[in-house]
Amino acid sequence: MSDQRSDQYILFTVAGTTYAVPSSQIAHVDLVDEITRVPNAAPFVDGVVFSRGQIIPAINMRARFGFERAPIDLRTRFLVVNTGGRSVGLLVDACREFLRIDPSAIHPPTDVLGGSGESYVAGIATTSSRMIVILNLDQLLASNDPILAA
Amino acid sequence: MTEFLDTFLDDYFAECDEHLTAVRRTLLALESSVGQPRPDPAVTEELFRAFHSLKGIAGMVEHREIELLAHEMETYLRAVREGDVRLTTAGVDTLIDAARLLEHAIAARRNRQPPVDVESLVLELRQIAPAGDSAPGAVAVAPPTDAGSWQCLFTPSAELIARGVNVDMVRARLRAVGEIVSAAPVVGEGGGIAFRFVFQGEPAAADVEAWRADGMVCSRVEQETVPAAVPAVPADRGASTLSSGHYVRVDLARLDDLMRMIGDLVIRRARLGDAVARVESHVPSSDWRAIQENTSALERQLRELRDGVMRVRLVPVGEIFRRVPFVVRDLARETGKRVAVDISGQTTEIDKFLVERMLDPVLHVVRNAVSHGLETVEERVAAGKAPEGTITLAASAAGEIVTIQIADDGRGIDVDRVIARARVAGLPVPAHVDEAALLELISSPGFSTRDASDRVSGRGFGMAVVRTTVQDLGGSMRLASAPGQGTRFTFELPLTLAITDALLARVGTQTFAVPQAAVREVIELDAASIQALEGGEIIQYRAAPAPVVRLSGVLGIPVPAAQERLHAFVVGAGAGAVVLVVDRIVGQREIVVRSTSDPLIRVDGIAGATDLGDGRAVLILDAVALARHARGGWGAAPRVRETA
Repeated sequence: MSDQRSDQYILFTVAGTTYAVPSSQIAHVDLVDEITRVPNAAPFVDGVVFSRGQIIPAINMRARFGFERAPIDLRTRFLVVNTGGRSVGLLVDACREFLRIDPSAIHPPTDVLGGSGESYVAGIATTSSRMIVILNLDQLLASNDPILAA
Repeated sequence: MTEFLDTFLDDYFAECDEHLTAVRRTLLALESSVGQPRPDPAVTEELFRAFHSLKGIAGMVEHREIELLAHEMETYLRAVREGDVRLTTAGVDTLIDAARLLEHAIAARRNRQPPVDVESLVLELRQIAPAGDSAPGAVAVAPPTDAGSWQCLFTPSAELIARGVNVDMVRARLRAVGEIVSAAPVVGEGGGIAFRFVFQGEPAAADVEAWRADGMVCSRVEQETVPAAVPAVPADRGASTLSSGHYVRVDLARLDDLMRMIGDLVIRRARLGDAVARVESHVPSSDWRAIQENTSALERQLRELRDGVMRVRLVPVGEIFRRVPFVVRDLARETGKRVAVDISGQTTEIDKFLVERMLDPVLHVVRNAVSHGLETVEERVAAGKAPEGTITLAASAAGEIVTIQIADDGRGIDVDRVIARARVAGLPVPAHVDEAALLELISSPGFSTRDASDRVSGRGFGMAVVRTTVQDLGGSMRLASAPGQGTRFTFELPLTLAITDALLARVGTQTFAVPQAAVREVIELDAASIQALEGGEIIQYRAAPAPVVRLSGVLGIPVPAAQERLHAFVVGAGAGAVVLVVDRIVGQREIVVRSTSDPLIRVDGIAGATDLGDGRAVLILDAVALARHARGGWGAAPRVRETA
């Protein structure tokens, strides 16, 4: 599922940056319900959410990228993603649009970031008005190490 | 019409499974008959029936390759049964290969894959079977032997053993008068163990008479009267009755659906109970009592329904164990080791789902035990051990917990080697590596003691996967290993999944569920009665000191103000008791257990999560793990170490 090429993306924002995830990896997008704290979980895991009959871990994407947590408001969304046989929820500042991105508009991360590049960044897409960071969810979820936002 | 066909095929595959199970169970028993003039008729009869039925049903659905293979197996077995062909090791090997292919062929059909090619095995079977069709009813005449065939049934007893009459002595006596063809343990009439010897020779009538007093019953085996049909031990007596008509085969998915529906009902009933409690003050008391009585009756009946469905899901652990002798047999061949398999408790029942999930972990540990645990014959003899290694499988149930043990009497785990390899793999190694730490190391992802040349064990299924599987099932794993004595893995698994009784407790502002099976007692205590000791806390519980664990501390939950009265769970018995302190116990509920197996939230002390019907997730505490954590951290308590 994760390696399926799709041009359709879901866009969301975390701390002012726009990120994209292939829509084929998104199970559903929820308003934020109550999050149950899980003691001794990784620092960027806010806890678990009971969503559609499943217990889903909630990753606070601000915390994941090393930012201060922001209070939950009406724009906050919970993106449930399916990847590598797991279902994980991403807590993001906002999530409003779908976008088709032409593969030719996506640059490999090394071109932009230099050096080895960040493995969780699949690419950087540039449109006329903005820059979008395309995430590699498998890489993002594979490790609990601190990472810095692209 | 297609729906009818699908249902029919479901039944067909279920029936295939049943026959394959019978084949697996009996095929190894057949091996012990190698070289005998005629194998145990109980064994051949069961196998014959299974092949025959498979042939018939495969023919009905036009699965020709399955039909053909089963037919050839049946033909060979008929020849063996009739005495036309003497059973050889090569013959049993071919049958086992054919049984595997049969399994494979059925699986391919089930998964709608192209039919499997069976030709080479069909040819092999034809080669070992006699040329030409043995016409039904043809009387086979076995070549007469000079010496007569005798069988001797020896039933040991305490009295006989006290007199020095044991199996070895019986063996010696028979050797003195003839050649022993086979010896096998059998289950006697009363369920006790007896030994059946078949031998060629001519014992004196006086001897035969004298032996009778020593529990040895000998009789000449006539051509027509084959040895008395006493089932051999591996042919599970309980299971063989399963082929009678009083059983219904049910697809596990249908039971899962039923279980889910009951889970939803349980939650719905709990919400109804809450709602009923809320309206109490608004309803006339006589009306309210009627409502209340009905909801409690509903709760009770729901519980009975739940228990009933759970019982339907229980199957004997023997389903896993039955596969083990096959695996061990192949590995023993490949490695040149001699291995005996000792199985007990195979009738212990456990949820079907758990049996299916535990098959690979159990087989993996068994493969490891044979490949790595057991020494070669030469090494064992040099170490003064019996040349034959033993793999012991045992299952037992206590309360809601099923224990599966897999032990070998091999060399034990080489701790230094494990540590060295863990360092190479970049794993953190604690200063003192005890058995728990050893288990942690060998089941870390990235750890493998497998040498490149060793293709026998492993097969892509490491101890890391074993551990994850066991944890995902809500179970736990222990290790005991002693140099030169062997290694033992112990799996503790819940009897069933899905729904369990739990106590609900509040710690700070958070609610937790604690499965009732783990809780020995609920107590109320004075905060003042808790005393500090060596950086920990203790309380007097049943006239003995017991360590106290404040869940607020372990779970890092801020508690607003110190309470005077506290509630606590007591976990573990006797000197192992641990008191887990919460703020308040707020109720008791049936909960639907959902796994929290994602690595992000896999935390020691959390066994899963549930919802209480209000859409919020509630964590389920693993009280036993929390208590273990407490004992490990409490200096005054001796660490309990298991030895193999």
